[in-house]
Amino acid sequence: MNGYVATFYTHLSAITSKRALDKVISGAALAPVPRKLSSSCGTCLIYEANEPLLNLLDEDVEGVYLVNGDGYIKLLERE
Amino acid sequence: MGRMKKIFRDYWLIVLTGLVIGAAAVALTALGNPKNMGFCIACFLRDGAGALGLHSAAVVQYVRPEIIGLVLGSMIIAMIKREWRPMGGSSPMTRFILGVIVMVGALIFLGCPLRMVIRIGGGDLNALVGLAGFVVGILIGVLPLKKGFTLKRAYRQSRVEGLIFPIILVIMCLAWLIKPDLFNSSTEGPGSMRANYFIALGIAIIVGALCQRSRLCMAGGVRDAVMFKDFRLISGFIAIIVAVLLGNLIVSGGVAFGFAEQPIAHSDGLFNFLGMVMVGWGSVLLGGCPLRQLILAGEGNSDSAITVAGFVTGAAISHNFGLASSGTGIGAGPVVAAVIVGVVALGLISIFNIAKGEQ
Repeated sequence: MNGYVATFYTHLSAITSKRALDKVISGAALAPVPRKLSSSCGTCLIYEANEPLLNLLDEDVEGVYLVNGDGYIKLLERE
Repeated sequence: MGRMKKIFRDYWLIVLTGLVIGAAAVALTALGNPKNMGFCIACFLRDGAGALGLHSAAVVQYVRPEIIGLVLGSMIIAMIKREWRPMGGSSPMTRFILGVIVMVGALIFLGCPLRMVIRIGGGDLNALVGLAGFVVGILIGVLPLKKGFTLKRAYRQSRVEGLIFPIILVIMCLAWLIKPDLFNSSTEGPGSMRANYFIALGIAIIVGALCQRSRLCMAGGVRDAVMFKDFRLISGFIAIIVAVLLGNLIVSGGVAFGFAEQPIAHSDGLFNFLGMVMVGWGSVLLGGCPLRQLILAGEGNSDSAITVAGFVTGAAISHNFGLASSGTGIGAGPVVAAVIVGVVALGLISIFNIAKGEQ
């Protein structure tokens, strides 16, 4: 199992993505975006899974990161 | 990682930012800014609106260097840290109107959320009533957020779009320094009480940079505590109160707790409460308090710059229509009607921006 963090352009997008993830995994949680990942004060989605489940995330996803100890490895960034 | 180490890592910067803001507010007051108003985004934007002749309240007109410094500090550090990103296009007109409503509410209370905590640290208990209203406003605003409220996403913009707002502020700053008689300028009242221009500018640049790095946000603090039980942002909020309280004790030798005779404040509890309900509710829908909007505008966010334009317009409306309070009480204009219109507008914006399929 890996830890992932997904950031979004809107709060709604985070909620929608959580709902989609909740159908296939448990424990996905909304949280404030870690300071390291974005200067926004928005909402991110933290979840554990074997793969990042990119196809389940809303189209307004901004970035997806693999949690690596105290740091993050960027897997996806969308403009 | 040890528990203490993790707490330190999560909290040190935001607490440091809060302590520096509190100390800066006390220092700016000692250097000449109005009492309990070392920093106030609403008041200082209102002063700027007056300086530009957008309202004619003679006692609140000045091109405050603190506003320019906060934006420049944010912009410079964001550029250094590669976080300067011109973004925009997220419901700009709605954000403009929300900015107007937030400013009208702030000037009924007499301060933005930042001045609210500075007033609390200065012993002004009316600000505790304001805080209660602010929290209630945020709680109301969180409801549509949970139901699917969205102002839609922002998109990447040109560099010019992100730079226009800071450039306007720099031009205003230079124009003030080169030819101050271009502007209206208070000779009495809060607008005439001023710390040294360059010292205030320097302090604000440092505070702006710290706010950009720490993401400090008054509304975000309460929102995160309520929605996520995350207390990082709110710890900055508390640090400001502690620093202002200690600073006032050191500089003034004491803090006079009470409701009456507080500096640039009134004791009409109902309107202190309602004004800050409007500020809290509007700030949550905007995604940040007035201070945060300035910092984001410095980072290149033109939606936040539009919101600041809404604040300035709201300040002009407040003073031109007698909605702004003063030390003697609420304004002589249709304040009740303004609160009703503001709350109804916030309600409509909250409901009609819930995404289809989420209602």
